[in-house]
Amino acid sequence: MSLTSKSHATTSLQRRNHKSSKDRVKTSLSMILIIVMAAYFLFPLYWLIVAMTKSTNQLFNTSMLAFPAHLNLWANLKWLNSYQNGMFWRWVLNSIIYAVGAGVLGTLVSAMAGYALSKYNFKLKNTLSVAILGSLMIPGAALAIPVFLMVKSLGLINTYAGVILPMIVNPFGVYFMMVFIKESMPGELIDSGRVDGANDYKIFFRIALPIIRPGLVTLFLISFIGAWNNFFLPLVLLNKTSFYPLTVGLQIWTANLNSAGTGQPLYPLILIGSFLSILPMLILFPILRKHIVSGIAMGGVKA
Amino acid sequence: MGLANYLTAWQDKSFWISVYRVAYYGVVQVTIMLVLALILALFLDSPFVKSKGLFRVIYFLPYAVPGVIAAIMWGFLYSPDLNPILQIFGVFTGGKPLNLLNSGTVLYGIMNMATWAWTGYNMTIYFASLTSIPLDLYDAAKIDGCNEFQTAWHIKLPLLRQVIIMTTVLSIIGSLQLFNEPFVLSSLTSIPANFTPNMDIYNMAFAYGNFTYSATLSITLVLITFIASLLFMWATSERKKSKSKKIKNTVINDKRLGTSTLSYHAKGEKSL
Repeated sequence: MSLTSKSHATTSLQRRNHKSSKDRVKTSLSMILIIVMAAYFLFPLYWLIVAMTKSTNQLFNTSMLAFPAHLNLWANLKWLNSYQNGMFWRWVLNSIIYAVGAGVLGTLVSAMAGYALSKYNFKLKNTLSVAILGSLMIPGAALAIPVFLMVKSLGLINTYAGVILPMIVNPFGVYFMMVFIKESMPGELIDSGRVDGANDYKIFFRIALPIIRPGLVTLFLISFIGAWNNFFLPLVLLNKTSFYPLTVGLQIWTANLNSAGTGQPLYPLILIGSFLSILPMLILFPILRKHIVSGIAMGGVKA
Repeated sequence: MGLANYLTAWQDKSFWISVYRVAYYGVVQVTIMLVLALILALFLDSPFVKSKGLFRVIYFLPYAVPGVIAAIMWGFLYSPDLNPILQIFGVFTGGKPLNLLNSGTVLYGIMNMATWAWTGYNMTIYFASLTSIPLDLYDAAKIDGCNEFQTAWHIKLPLLRQVIIMTTVLSIIGSLQLFNEPFVLSSLTSIPANFTPNMDIYNMAFAYGNFTYSATLSITLVLITFIASLLFMWATSERKKSKSKKIKNTVINDKRLGTSTLSYHAKGEKSL
């Protein structure tokens, strides 16, 4: 899988040459399969959009896939805004802080490490590269306890830094950046930078970073989505409601559905909250998809 | 003293039951998901499908939905009170509506969640690899009289081999780590706290405060993950090796071929 823009141009050219078939039977049968699968992937999202316009009563008593006669969307939204003094929006803000923090810092650290591994020679370089590749195989959840104990000993439980710091370390990001920089940045550029009297920092920030911008965008998006969707790490590191990201907050509301004595069930809040938490991504996804794909096609990262 | 915990883990029946549960889950779910992803990628790469761009976006969309939100959505949809469609399935289950939150069926409910969430993701990886196969290869196949199916079976699939192995290993690792979906469902239904190894580990540490034993179970799970991944890679590297080599040689000997396939192969091998 080549990462350079040149190969992308040729592939799209190739695909354009790939004419569509005139065989009607095969085309219709294929389209049926493709559309049925599309319906499967869209079904829960469509249901969510319908369900968030209903009151709890309507949810259980009106047709599942049809909008109710009396839309309750505005009332649900007002309830969401006022419930626990607008705690939901605090979670939105927290999710943004965690995702932007982990995305920006994680990408920068990965770029620096990848740059060092691809452009410098030093002792144990190969051992380090292999170790990073190997750590891709270590499941993140297995590290939860050491991470928790470390964050605790630093006194960072229930802080933004405590959640962001562990997410900055990203072996996939380092590996991705290493390969990307190797492919897209010729070594002569470093030499000519040195001749012009630039030090290593200047060469990295002024020459390398602009060249690898497409890779930075890809890695930022993948890290951002990974952090936005992360549940396990914040669950372990936080126990104060006001520090929760959306994922943990909405899970807690769901968990409270069955426990007695917590007032009326929060179905509408959970539904509209879930929708709002995926809305930005749903809107931006068609635009950003290409950047994301070039990254995951390379290594396949499970967030 | 340190090894005593491992002895306890070795005899910890409920832990091994949960390992067996996710292993079974992994075999079934990963197979369904990857076969489906492959089929979709091959169809989207065939001349029989129109509006390919649109469908690629739709299939990939679940990747943008956090696992917890997906689990909440499907969790509600599994409740017969909220989803009357499930009552239609009563035909198969003897009158009672299908309840995917029952202790006997909840594992299949989770399989569906994971399939929904990750099929498009894997399809995207396969599709990206398919687009790096030069079209000259297909022309050659056509001259040899291959139809679309034969081209897919004899040319596209063998060229995807490395990618398929890689995605399978990652999916195996993912299955053994199963946590978010059953954790969310445990608040909607009665899933035991040690349903999966990771839930057991979480529970041991953060409900009982037994960090040392929890760490023991973590290490055991990592070892199981390593062994499973290595076994799979070993099994796939031995089998069919001669066959795929033959194809690679013909690919390399084809003079009309651009350099992209060659570099693709070189990288595909290096990356594992």
